[in-house]
Amino acid sequence: MKKPKLELVSLKKEYDNATVAAVDGIDLSIEAGETVALLGPSGCGKSTTLNMIVGLEEPTSGDIQIDGQSIIGVPLGKRNVGLVFQDYAVFTTMTVRQNLAFGLEIRHAARPEIVRAVAEVAGLLDMSDRLDVRAKDLGGSELQRVAIGRTLVTKPAILLLDEPLSNLEAAARLAMRRELRRLQSEIGLTIIYVTHDQVEALSLADRIAVMRAGKILQVEKTSVISERPDHIFVASFLGSPPMNLLKGHIEAKDDAMVFRQGSFSLPLGGTSSGDAVFAKGPFTLGIRPESLRFAPKETAPLTGQVLLVEPRGPEVVLTVKIGAVQLKVVAPPVGYPVEGATAGLAVDLDALVFFDGRTNRRVDVCQAGRPN
Amino acid sequence: MMHTKKLSFPLALLMAAALVLVLFPVFWIVMTAIKPPTDWNASPAIWAPSHPTLINFRTLFDPDAIREYGVGGVSQSATKSVFGSIFASVMATALSVLVGLFSAIGISRYGNGSRATPLIILSGRMFPPAAIAVPFVIIFSNVGLTDSYTGLIAIYVAVTLPFSTWMLKSFVDDVPREIEEAAMIDGRSRLMAHLTVTIPLIRGGLFATTMFIFILNWSEFMFALVLSYSNVSTIPVQLAKYVTATAGTLYGVQAALAVLAIVPLVIVGYAIQSHLARGMTFGAIKQ
Amino acid sequence: MLDSRTIELTETPPLAAAPLRGESKKGLGIAAMAQLLTLPGQIVSVLVLVVPLLVALYMSFTDWSPTRGSLFNAQFVGFENYSELLIWDTRFLYAVIRTVLISAACLSLEFFFGLGLAVLFLREFRGKSILFSAFLTPMMILPVVVGYTFWMLFQSNGPINQIIELLVGPRGAPEWFRSAPFAIVAVVLTEVWHWTPLFFLILLSGLNSVPENPVRAAVILGASPRQVFWRVVLPMLKPVIIVAFVIRSMEIIKLFDEVFMLTRGGPGSATETISLYIYKLAFNDFQLAYGAAAAFIVLLGSLLLIHLLLKPVRNQLLEVSR
Repeated sequence: MKKPKLELVSLKKEYDNATVAAVDGIDLSIEAGETVALLGPSGCGKSTTLNMIVGLEEPTSGDIQIDGQSIIGVPLGKRNVGLVFQDYAVFTTMTVRQNLAFGLEIRHAARPEIVRAVAEVAGLLDMSDRLDVRAKDLGGSELQRVAIGRTLVTKPAILLLDEPLSNLEAAARLAMRRELRRLQSEIGLTIIYVTHDQVEALSLADRIAVMRAGKILQVEKTSVISERPDHIFVASFLGSPPMNLLKGHIEAKDDAMVFRQGSFSLPLGGTSSGDAVFAKGPFTLGIRPESLRFAPKETAPLTGQVLLVEPRGPEVVLTVKIGAVQLKVVAPPVGYPVEGATAGLAVDLDALVFFDGRTNRRVDVCQAGRPN
Repeated sequence: MMHTKKLSFPLALLMAAALVLVLFPVFWIVMTAIKPPTDWNASPAIWAPSHPTLINFRTLFDPDAIREYGVGGVSQSATKSVFGSIFASVMATALSVLVGLFSAIGISRYGNGSRATPLIILSGRMFPPAAIAVPFVIIFSNVGLTDSYTGLIAIYVAVTLPFSTWMLKSFVDDVPREIEEAAMIDGRSRLMAHLTVTIPLIRGGLFATTMFIFILNWSEFMFALVLSYSNVSTIPVQLAKYVTATAGTLYGVQAALAVLAIVPLVIVGYAIQSHLARGMTFGAIKQ
Repeated sequence: MLDSRTIELTETPPLAAAPLRGESKKGLGIAAMAQLLTLPGQIVSVLVLVVPLLVALYMSFTDWSPTRGSLFNAQFVGFENYSELLIWDTRFLYAVIRTVLISAACLSLEFFFGLGLAVLFLREFRGKSILFSAFLTPMMILPVVVGYTFWMLFQSNGPINQIIELLVGPRGAPEWFRSAPFAIVAVVLTEVWHWTPLFFLILLSGLNSVPENPVRAAVILGASPRQVFWRVVLPMLKPVIIVAFVIRSMEIIKLFDEVFMLTRGGPGSATETISLYIYKLAFNDFQLAYGAAAAFIVLLGSLLLIHLLLKPVRNQLLEVSR
């Protein structure tokens, strides 16, 4: 079984004057060639984790292993880990070429090797014609490419990026996403990056680790995580707009299960067998805005009034009021009801997600007796 | 990263040695100022007097006081030069800062009069004072300004104007123009905006500049030397007289005057410490 | 923050060139305001700087001395003073060379010690702010007092010689003011003591504003502290270093007060700086016209020197000024 490229084991970081740990015992295993995003709000510990991997900070306890070897105690600069700062931190007094060559020059590598490596990385990053430009004359995304190139020249085991897209304008952001994707596939680099922007996470990563208050709440493949969040926090953090979350109960009604919150009720289908399990305890129902679609009012399981319509180019976001509840719906850009109209909504029952009302963790409803 | 390492022992030792070198001359002059006349000409020179005394300081103002030690009286009292220094420095500083303030606002907010203005003002600093003194002496003697505080103050203002202008300009630059523009939108005229809004905002810088110019004026030697005969005297001139007039043997009294000269500067210097870089570099570097 | 925007040597763009919407119609307009504000400064500069300079310039083309009556009747001698100074006057030539050499020695030492101290002050230790103030002390002391103090220290029976004799033996200590090389060394040491704190101050402020992330990036790429300092930090300090050197050299070529108190230019003319020579010409020998010519040569020389020195960095400095 191949060793993971990077392994975090019960990693913990506490500061003297704080009552809560910045990083509170996280475990994470990353395979070679993967791109993983550490996603979370500010203060969740993602940057601290990054700092510990690169060596800017030392953990209070726990282990970090690269290729099976612990790197705790290995000094900064000797871990073969590359870091791209959020502000790129390019050497402004040098040219692009000198920036790229820096890592090898300080190792006193042979000149031909340096020239070759610089040319190779410059080609990879499409900067071959900018090699003799002074770093301070470069634009945002060029600076980032130089910062990335600078670390690539030293052939690091892992590349770390701190909020890679946050300082770029929209057009540059799209371009950068393509660049990073290309780098991943061309050189098979293992990439970890830290971000608070879920769009950034969803667009670049193979897997996403959602963090909050020093802990990892969920690590999951990007394609899956939005649909199967393990925790209410994850559900509320991902997606734009994020998942609709409704607190309520599941009841038996006639021969079916129904989710109820106040006057809002959604039939869940199925028999009442096993209702004893559901009758207890509150649940939170999660419905992705993409899983709701408009249907004729007469037959739809839900009807409500459209409060707000927000066109967004390729899609439209509507806010529909049903009883005391407001649901966000994402619909195709044509054929949607207007503001003020009454509309019917149907939902794909397979896409529903339930969270235990007390632990806020996802509960697999199928297990508890709802027929497939 | 560089800032978290602690000072290792060998480096601490190095710093201690540097500290000794830096403070030793000050130590020496203070010790000399409190030496009784018997210690003055000791060979080898005495480092710290066994019977320190304040007689030297008294002698500065009462030239015969020193005779009680059996030494001849000092040729001249330093009183006039002390008053002279205070008067000239204060007046010249006030004028220089006042004129510099308006120039600073003008240059900062309205651009230079011409590209040459900064060069003209800066080149005033490059000219050897001895040479500037020559035409001054000639002009002043034609208008009766030699040996007068007016003449001296005029020169001091001219020579310190580059510093006051540029230092104040850098403080005015730090005030966002939007604040003045807001005041003008509120209905105030431009002049009032500058007077009532900008100037209060640079209070700290104004204080620092004033103190800095004061240091420059208080320390000035050559012009005072050349322009003073009998009416005008400043402390540096008086010190030079004490040294040359008595063939340098009145160490104690000389040192007392030197200490007297230093005290205000050291106090002022510490008070504006955080702005010293800005002053010394014409506002180019801010700490 | 030294992102080069702190170095400003030239103009700033003017406050809203057009009057603002709500701007009061009373009071002065923009052009008038600009004039009014800079007028006092210009008057002073013209009256007390430009006029005397022009007088001195005129005088430098005559052979006037106070004994010869009014300046305006003085005999015009063209460039005679200038050619005499540049071609025949060895004392002037030596004064210039001497001043340049002393300046070079002082500047190098001040930079070296100032940088060393600044680097030390990057570290953490107790009493840092008090020590910082202490190290700034020398530059706050009047130049005449500095000259006077070191005159005492360098006396044959003074403490410096006492320490030397402790190390080298009873006859080892030099007579500082009797021999030319030692007198020059004394002048250099005095000046270095006086002004190293300025380099320390400026360089420390520069070092403190070097951004942290590039330094960290360099370390992460594997650079040793030495490599980080020479390859990353020092280049970023270049603008600051240049400012420090330019400012100090403008002042040190005028070296007068300390030398006056220390040696009066002696022994002989061994420590005679340009300023001292001009002073002697003008106020001991009363050769005022000649002295004026010497002063202008010095002025032109320094302007030329600064222009030449700044040329390579002028683009950098100008483009980043606001």
